[in-house]
Amino acid sequence: MSRIPVIRVEDVLIATVIEDVTDSDAVALQSELGHQLEARGAKGVLIDLSVVGIVDSFLGRVLAVVATMSRLLGAPTVIAGIQPAVAVTLVELGVRLTGVRTALTSDAGMRMLREGRVGRHVGRR
Amino acid sequence: MKEPVEQTRAQMVDHMEVQRKTISELQTPVIQVWEGILALPIVGTVDSARAQQMTEALLDRITATGASVVLLDITAVPTVDTAFAKHLIETIAAARLLGTDVMVVGLTTHTALTLVHLGVDLEGVVTRTTMAKGLELAFDRLGLAVVRRAPLVDVAHP
Repeated sequence: MSRIPVIRVEDVLIATVIEDVTDSDAVALQSELGHQLEARGAKGVLIDLSVVGIVDSFLGRVLAVVATMSRLLGAPTVIAGIQPAVAVTLVELGVRLTGVRTALTSDAGMRMLREGRVGRHVGRR
Repeated sequence: MKEPVEQTRAQMVDHMEVQRKTISELQTPVIQVWEGILALPIVGTVDSARAQQMTEALLDRITATGASVVLLDITAVPTVDTAFAKHLIETIAAARLLGTDVMVVGLTTHTALTLVHLGVDLEGVVTRTTMAKGLELAFDRLGLAVVRRAPLVDVAHP
């Protein structure tokens, strides 16, 4: 059972990553999003990282994989709410999340998905 | 009563302390040039410690102001080397993770050629020669336009 719930709002799948996220939570999130996109599809995926203060290379890689997977399944991904310290860590770990759109807040991320400002940037490096 | 030499020395130490503080304050001025637009003028040589401080200051300001465009001005960077390029790319990557567009402004022919020779092509980074051109592009991204018209304030008699 995944500890990270995936909810659907306005045809966007929203996942709020929990503070004490474990490797298995991250993998569970990946398969949950995969299932939902395969079964019903979605306009986009929003992953909120605002409560996450610590990341490791595993989570960074899973995020990159999830974003690419979702894009291939027809749903552009926005990762929102990355804290400054987390951004620095991800860069130091070499996780650049190129091709993934990022937003300062979930609100901004939702707006990007709703206005369709994500799709045309996908794949941009 | 202190010896005159001791006094001068103490004054010098004080003076140096003040200078050190001033320099550290000058290091990372993140300026909000418009709502949603931040500018970071990089002045002088950038080492790892400074790059880290710069990045932290920038990221904090991005979260505080909710800025969506950042202009990194490298006009006042005397020498561009691989270390500087690496710091620049990391700062840009971190700021992008927060959802901001980052542009590098203040490139000269010399800096551009140096970067090419170093094998750093800043792929995917928007670059402009002057801050003015960068600002124009930033305005465009935010859907703003600067229009010329008669001034409202009389400059001679404000």
